[in-house]
Amino acid sequence: MQTRSAPRSLLDIDDLSRDEIALVIRRSGEFRTQLPDRSLLAGVPILNLFFEASTRTATSFTLAEQRVGADVITFAPGTSSLGKGETIADTAITLRAIGVRVIVVRHHESGFPRRLAEAFDGHVVNAGDGTRAHPTQALLDLATLHAEFGRFEGLRVAIVGDILHSRVARSNIVGMKMLGIDITLVGPPTLLPDAFAQEGVRIERDFDAVLPHVDAVMMLRIQRERIAASLLPALADYTIGYQLGTQRLRVLPKGAIILHPGPYNRGVELTDEALADPRSRYETQVTNGVFVRMAALDMLVNGSAVRA
Amino acid sequence: MRVLIRGGRVIDPSRGLDAVRDVAIDGGIIRAISEQIEERGHEIIDATNCVVAPGFIDMHVHLREPGQTHKETIATGTAAAVAGGFTAVACMPNTTPAIDTPAVIAEIAQRVAQAGLARVYPIGAITQGRKGEQLAPYHELAMAGAVAFSDDGSTVENVRVLRNAALYARDVKGPFISHCIDDELHGDAVMNEGKHSAMLGLPASPRLAEDVIVARDILVAADTHKPWHIAHISTATSLDIIRWARSRSTAITCEVTPHHLLLHDDLFVDYHARAKVAPPLRGADDSAALRAAVRDGTIDVFATDHAPHTMEEKAQLLSIAPVGFSGLEVAVGAYAHAIPDLPLDRFITLLSTRPAQILGVEGGTLAVGARADVTIFGERPWTVDARTFYSKGKNTPFDGFTFERRIVATVVGGRLAYHAERGIIEPLAYA
Ligand SMILES: [Zn+2]
Repeated sequence: MQTRSAPRSLLDIDDLSRDEIALVIRRSGEFRTQLPDRSLLAGVPILNLFFEASTRTATSFTLAEQRVGADVITFAPGTSSLGKGETIADTAITLRAIGVRVIVVRHHESGFPRRLAEAFDGHVVNAGDGTRAHPTQALLDLATLHAEFGRFEGLRVAIVGDILHSRVARSNIVGMKMLGIDITLVGPPTLLPDAFAQEGVRIERDFDAVLPHVDAVMMLRIQRERIAASLLPALADYTIGYQLGTQRLRVLPKGAIILHPGPYNRGVELTDEALADPRSRYETQVTNGVFVRMAALDMLVNGSAVRA
Repeated sequence: MRVLIRGGRVIDPSRGLDAVRDVAIDGGIIRAISEQIEERGHEIIDATNCVVAPGFIDMHVHLREPGQTHKETIATGTAAAVAGGFTAVACMPNTTPAIDTPAVIAEIAQRVAQAGLARVYPIGAITQGRKGEQLAPYHELAMAGAVAFSDDGSTVENVRVLRNAALYARDVKGPFISHCIDDELHGDAVMNEGKHSAMLGLPASPRLAEDVIVARDILVAADTHKPWHIAHISTATSLDIIRWARSRSTAITCEVTPHHLLLHDDLFVDYHARAKVAPPLRGADDSAALRAAVRDGTIDVFATDHAPHTMEEKAQLLSIAPVGFSGLEVAVGAYAHAIPDLPLDRFITLLSTRPAQILGVEGGTLAVGARADVTIFGERPWTVDARTFYSKGKNTPFDGFTFERRIVATVVGGRLAYHAERGIIEPLAYA
């Protein structure tokens, strides 16, 4: 049974219901076991519109689109004038007139996919906007957690680092809250303002106090630009409080897993040892990304009832 | 032209008058106020069940002329003013060019005379070109008609420049008006910093960006003994700083906008720029503190910060779209909606008597012999439809709101300029 009509667009993870998230994750698992034939989205014209460079996400989407048989066009306007100002609506109208039915969009400004979706008569999939949302990344993180633990309710997850600038963290917070996961955010006040505290989301500054009690720890990328913006003194100083390295790996429970949305900064938010640790699921996450995107596109275009 | 305003509740805070009276106007002057005035030869305005008040003065508007007439002109802006019940407005100097020479003021005066609707008091720049570097010629500007000085739209970042400006201008009539936002702290913010910005992932401006400049400018005011006015105050802490300044008898006044009294930073969920304004809309605690500060007298003036832009400009990406929205035509409804229990004499003081005092201009009174600038309003529920604005700027976050109080008529210099049923009444051509 369908719990609600197929979402027109996937702008953030809460455009899907809990049931739909579960369905996408289940289907992605099926695809991983056996690839579908290319009839799922046969001939559906999909435009990958990447205003902001992202080889990893763009490649993952392209592969997912090809595996479900879509007609894939990739366009990288960069930060050109397209998409600025009053051209949002005009761009949307033109793209639909060309025949594009799905736009997978990444943009440097929060909210751009939402504005595009208002004007576009088709499906918009947010492949990352500003610091706002990255719903397919959250879906692949959730798929990875589910594969590991077989459930969501009551799982304890710590998200660590630059939450303020992380669209991955925001989408995960939204999705994890929906699914009953216990969320703790860890980071310095400049990168994790107190304003992130909300119902179902705790803020804890002491990483070491959190570590023994988690099922998963999600490490976020720390960018050097934060030093120039005087949000951090030095990377070395940051590592004292928040790096996942030798000492902390000892405290992390045996059955816990380590997640990272990539690309990681070796030696900053985590060490070589953490990357090599058997609890690291970094590669699994990347692999799951393709299958989750296939399942999400299938749900958007064909509706959740089709093969539920 | 002779006008008789009949049967209204005349409230004049300047003289403590509150009674049902007829008001007779002749030759642009209030000739008589009494219980019954014979009506022969007059244009009659029926004010039954309405309030008759000294003309409202909005001391913070952007008329965009010269230079940005696609957004607004003096003609459309003053039409919006009288439709909003304002008989006079003071216009901010962030025009192109800025109001930093007598020539620009002369040009504005000429356009105002052509429009012939509301009075316009120019506000001169504090620094040349509003660049925050060289002092503007205050004596020249004041002689040309400037009633105050401000770099509104920008903060004078350099304290040395600001202090010298205030010292030099100390004996020039007209207060300094501060736009209090620290540029560095504000950065590329589009909204208030708080729980909403946290989850929306939008660059945000902390309250501290306002508070720190309010405190700084108050210290400069105290140091230079220059009368000072804080524009569009938006935080609870800024109010506390103003209370502290007054406890030390520093001459500080301040204003609040209708949007900061009524709206919050939860309006950005759709990522539209329609609620993008400077300073940004804050949280519910701040607007509650602002309303309390209106009641307790900390806030002197209601001002709109009328800042019209085209719909195309406001439809741009949130990061690019300009700040501000049209305020003149919704102001009176919005203020009354925000603080419905505010006594009428206080309401009128905030909109008329105090701004006249602060700017040192005529008005704010209905004394017999005074210039006949009169605003008539009533309790007449209406729904805001920005498409009907006289202003070129059709953008307001109040679109669709229902307000209770509405302007009935606006009389400027003894001439009926606006009537709710007749709209703008075009003036006879000025000679
Ligand atoms: Zn301002």
